[in-house]
Amino acid sequence: MLDPAHGGVDLGARGTEGIRESEVVLVFAAEVRKALEAQGFQVVMTREGNDNPSFDDRSARANAQHGAVFVTLHIASTGVAGSVRVYVVPDIPPSNDATGLIPWDRAQGPYIGLSHKLGDLVQAELAKRFRGSPDTALVAPVRQLRTTAAPAIAVEISSVTVPDRADLDHMVPGVAEAIAHGIVAFKPSYVLPVPSGTPGAAQP
Amino acid sequence: MSPQSRVWLAGGLFAAVIAAALYFPALRHQVRNAAQLTEKTAEQARRELLPVTPTAGSEPKVKVKMFWGSGNDDGLLRPVTVELPLSDDPVLRAKEVLNTLLAGPVDPEARTLPPDAALLAFYILPDGTAIADFSEALGTSIPSGIQSEQLAIDSIARTLEANVPQVQRIKILIHGQEVETLAGHIDLTQTFRVNTKVPGAPVPPAPSAVSVITAPIEKAVQKVENAVKR
Repeated sequence: MLDPAHGGVDLGARGTEGIRESEVVLVFAAEVRKALEAQGFQVVMTREGNDNPSFDDRSARANAQHGAVFVTLHIASTGVAGSVRVYVVPDIPPSNDATGLIPWDRAQGPYIGLSHKLGDLVQAELAKRFRGSPDTALVAPVRQLRTTAAPAIAVEISSVTVPDRADLDHMVPGVAEAIAHGIVAFKPSYVLPVPSGTPGAAQP
Repeated sequence: MSPQSRVWLAGGLFAAVIAAALYFPALRHQVRNAAQLTEKTAEQARRELLPVTPTAGSEPKVKVKMFWGSGNDDGLLRPVTVELPLSDDPVLRAKEVLNTLLAGPVDPEARTLPPDAALLAFYILPDGTAIADFSEALGTSIPSGIQSEQLAIDSIARTLEANVPQVQRIKILIHGQEVETLAGHIDLTQTFRVNTKVPGAPVPPAPSAVSVITAPIEKAVQKVENAVKR
């Protein structure tokens, strides 16, 4: 599941050279999609035009897929130009619901371990290609990820403040390749978590 | 018209012109004053309604560790020690350090919070949760992005951790309201961990940088929202 962030009236980050995050992420998303499809993955996008689904709408589309991974793409306002960072959310306390149902706002909870694994693999691929990028995924409470019931990462590229839009365009193939390679490496370790309270669930 | 009537009419017109010449400057002054009053934003009006934070000018100066950015655009914080007159009262102390954080460092590149943002209110609940209410500029003027928004939150949390040990976690409101994100990325519906090393303090159940909202926070949010409505 690919999520080009922002869109519509929400332009996201804006650079001094007229660079708009909501437009640039569509370019990155199209290339990531091609790279993933070349690896045999089915790709669903949260948006392909200049619309702006809500956070919950984007998560709902991902949560309706079985065995999906979720990648939300962003262009930062800050950061070392030409670097790329992967974020995963911090741990979310487990729900005490006796039915085993997971509250919507904690949907990411059971997947955080998988998200860290996916994030580290994608970040390692990015670090090989883009100097100034960290070696492992960073932790931040990114709103979009919290309601997503799948291994989920945010990829943020620096930045809209580059002097020339071409500086970002040159990064597109490398970012797409790194995300695709990271997801390929993640696939063997992707085992869907068993909800607590169901037969076969791991006992403490 | 008789000559006498013409004289009276001319005299009346002359008197009206003189009266208008005297009255118009005063009227213009009044219109200008009224325009200035209507230009005041709702936020300015709200700030005037809020109680003035007592200054800690009479307090002795102490060394305070502030966390601003490194200035290298790398998303890292750098501790800077400054001397400030600080109150012993944790709420006043927190307000003083947060206002210093908002005022910014000497190097503008190291700023983590927008220069036009203001701290409108600050409370500490009995369980160690602080409620910080900032003006809208905190969300509208900050550079949009995961890194920049996280840096802003971290600078607030680390500065409070270093100087106000009573604060264990913080809930951030914008103009008295809970908002979904700071500027489109970082989740503000939950609390941010500040300090878990308070002696005797209960240890939160999960090793999370974020904890779920609790009833006391919701009550405090309601209190701030009611203050805004008044």
